[in-house]
Amino acid sequence: MIGQERCEAVLNKSLSLSRAEDTEVYLSVQDQGLTRFASNVIHQNVSHSNAQLHIRAVAGRRQGRATTNDLSDEGIERAVERAHQNALLMPADPDFKGLPGVKDMPQQVPAHDEATASCSPEARARVVAVVCRKAEAEGLNASGACRTGTHETAVMSTQGARAYHAGTFAGLINTLMSDTSAGWSKGSSWRISDIDAESLADEAVSKALRGRDPRPIEPGKYTVVLDPYAVDDILSALSLYGMGAHIVQEGRSWMNGLIGKRAMSPLVSIWDDGSDSEGWPVPFDAEGVPCQRVDIVKEGVVGDPVHNSYTAGKEGKASTGHQTSFSNWGTVGPMATNLFMGNGDSTLEGMIGSTQRGLYITRFFYTRLVHSRGCMMTGMTRDGVFLIENGELSHPVKNLRFTQSYVEALVEVEVVGNQRKLIMNESGFATVVPALKLTAFNFTGVTV
Amino acid sequence: MDELVARALDLARARGAGYADIRVVRTDQERFSVRNGVVDIISMDESIGFGVRVLVDGSWGFASSHDLTLSEIDRVASLAVQVAKASASLSKEPVGLGSPVTSRGTYTTPIQVDPFTISAEQKLQLLMEADKQMAVVAGIRSRQGSLVFIKETKTFASSEGAHVEQTIYESGGGIQATAVGHNEVQRRSYPQSQGRQQGCAGWEYIAGMDLAGNAERVASEAVSLLTADPCPSDIVATVVIGGSQLALQVHESCGHAIELDRVLGAEAAYAGTSFLTPDKLNSFRYGSPYVNITADSLRLPGLGTFGWDDEGVPARSMPIVKNGEFVGYLMSRETASLLGLTSNGCMRASSWNRIPLIRMTNVSLEPGTWKFEDLIADTEEGIYMEMNRSWSIDDKRYNFQFGTEIGYEIKKGKLGGMLRNCTYTGITPDFWNSCDAICNEAHWEMWGTPNCGKGQPGQLAHTGHGAAPARFRNVRVGVLR
Repeated sequence: MIGQERCEAVLNKSLSLSRAEDTEVYLSVQDQGLTRFASNVIHQNVSHSNAQLHIRAVAGRRQGRATTNDLSDEGIERAVERAHQNALLMPADPDFKGLPGVKDMPQQVPAHDEATASCSPEARARVVAVVCRKAEAEGLNASGACRTGTHETAVMSTQGARAYHAGTFAGLINTLMSDTSAGWSKGSSWRISDIDAESLADEAVSKALRGRDPRPIEPGKYTVVLDPYAVDDILSALSLYGMGAHIVQEGRSWMNGLIGKRAMSPLVSIWDDGSDSEGWPVPFDAEGVPCQRVDIVKEGVVGDPVHNSYTAGKEGKASTGHQTSFSNWGTVGPMATNLFMGNGDSTLEGMIGSTQRGLYITRFFYTRLVHSRGCMMTGMTRDGVFLIENGELSHPVKNLRFTQSYVEALVEVEVVGNQRKLIMNESGFATVVPALKLTAFNFTGVTV
Repeated sequence: MDELVARALDLARARGAGYADIRVVRTDQERFSVRNGVVDIISMDESIGFGVRVLVDGSWGFASSHDLTLSEIDRVASLAVQVAKASASLSKEPVGLGSPVTSRGTYTTPIQVDPFTISAEQKLQLLMEADKQMAVVAGIRSRQGSLVFIKETKTFASSEGAHVEQTIYESGGGIQATAVGHNEVQRRSYPQSQGRQQGCAGWEYIAGMDLAGNAERVASEAVSLLTADPCPSDIVATVVIGGSQLALQVHESCGHAIELDRVLGAEAAYAGTSFLTPDKLNSFRYGSPYVNITADSLRLPGLGTFGWDDEGVPARSMPIVKNGEFVGYLMSRETASLLGLTSNGCMRASSWNRIPLIRMTNVSLEPGTWKFEDLIADTEEGIYMEMNRSWSIDDKRYNFQFGTEIGYEIKKGKLGGMLRNCTYTGITPDFWNSCDAICNEAHWEMWGTPNCGKGQPGQLAHTGHGAAPARFRNVRVGVLR
């Protein structure tokens, strides 16, 4: 961490050096330690620090960008000048309405934990040791990663944006394997004390032991009970392939034609909220606009996509505060990155107990868009799939390939879990999701 | 710079490292994007920093920083040793690296025209012209063209005495047209999907693409696809797969499967493992006798072309699959020594703040003997599929499913009607053993994959894959429901 004072000094320096009509500067600072393990030993262990300064210079309806991680006066001046020169090269963009005028300061949200910020490599090794020892005791092979770190984001602009946020992150991922099976668990939080290595290890051990000697099963439509890890994949894909207004405006989103209509089960509500501490909060976006709560789906009815100032300007609306900082190729569009799904009233055991015949699935892997309409996806199951018969886990089955519209999958929601899990990924994306029971899910192949 | 490098290595050794290396990397990148006639990105980005990797008591540690000062060098070298000591607290066998590597020298990507000397105006003009040609076609909803240029200068030095300096250039570009119809969205790309074709090359690579000359065709195909017949549903058929799609097939089903770190479990929790276990080396029929796959880090303009890898091991060419037999892995010094072999130079880091991992170099399907026209004429019935639209493969690299942007019927030895939403699926060795014809050198091209994800923290590697169209029998196609 470099602290609020140093962040603001860098941003003030950047603005003072700019010759552009308007300038926006965004600083992202990250320190991360990550301890990786495989075959019950630590095999990779890293620590890194970086600070990335993003400059956006405006000349009328033209904008140019530059980034640098050289925060010396010379480095800042070079980047500021490049951004300005780039803006002058641009033809005018009639849809660009200028930098957003930011009047409201974002509310501070608790997201920083000193114990997490100061977590040492030795402390991470102790967390990993808990998992590896449990694996060895059961004759299993443990792999995974434990990461901790801090991130700071700060924005200033000549149109009034001025925001600073400091947060922390911690995570533990475990894959425990036998010769024929694997079990998975993942814990995420912005507080290291929330990461319970013992229970996460037990969760993965249980699935690895129970999953031994899986049997093949015929592909086809099955009722499924999905762990929150699998539900996280569904929400992540729906975000990536359609919750941003730029995708909707180009007609490529699963939301096209569905806005205002009931398109999913009334049990399904999905919203984005960057200021909710139950998630991984960052209360403002890369334009310094406070993040608004946006209802993407409310009781099955599709709401609105998320906006940045550009997409909002095209529709005469206000930005919802969803400009991302990490879309570094193509148009930098808005994204929903703090997603929540409403919970229900059933336990996981209750979902399995109410299923005559179906599959209990831990997570999905390598999922990719096959067709944008309906968010048609393909991917594999991984790290624990079990046949449910007469309300009980009957036996493990081999991994299956699915080809399934995620929108149609959420039409099939029959039961929603009463507990939600926070799942954070490396790129700053987080979901808070329950387990789900779906009446039907389409499997199209089985692996060897 | 030499002072910083020497100080890091000396300090790491003094703090207890048995081995240490340092990479100092500066990356300059230019990006240009034109969308629907509007320039939406001109960006010039730079990143500089260093990473120190050490072995202490046989365990790895790594630390990095963007701050190239003497005090930060000291902090980071000391932190790398501290991290390695923490690794040693949960270790078994000490890491071995085999024989010392003492490479010295310099390497620069051979280019004709430095892309950073071409004006931004000229680059934008090229994209605007292509955009104009796509806009001629009625029914296109969105158009995009983009260019990227990268210059990476890298110093690698180790406590064994290696010291190499490299400058790697990359140039990439492409166009995409998207058409939207009733409940249908179709996209066509040129020269490659996923945004661009990219190679280790200069401006001449972009100039040779003729983006504007292909723009109208690409846009017309996107519109035609809206009303084309759908791919036949869930049938077993003969397929001819075009070079750019086959390049990704090689990447996913061979390139990742032969990474020895993932074979040995290093990626088990993330990207997965591999079915190509060490017992299969030199004793497994990966494909039909027509299938020859080579890993070659000397083969321009492949994105996996360099002078030395990030352990200082020289670039080279080696067979991976020879007449269908599996004969080679991609290796690091550590993993090679575990099999009693020598590294073949495949360790690369995506940036100064990432450790080197085993990454594909240019893993290519070698050309066969067929002319494309003859191959089609020899195919009584089947489907020709080209250019990737979606890809997915399981964690052992067995079960895959790909979708392509475009397809055509093959009937009685001739290409017929256009097909939309083509997909095919299979099991890797079954698929490659069903290959009975590969097109010749004239149809072979080196394709770039600049977005290969691996590792935690995540790394995006740039890899190359040469391929020509090839024919496969008894493939399951049309899996949409």
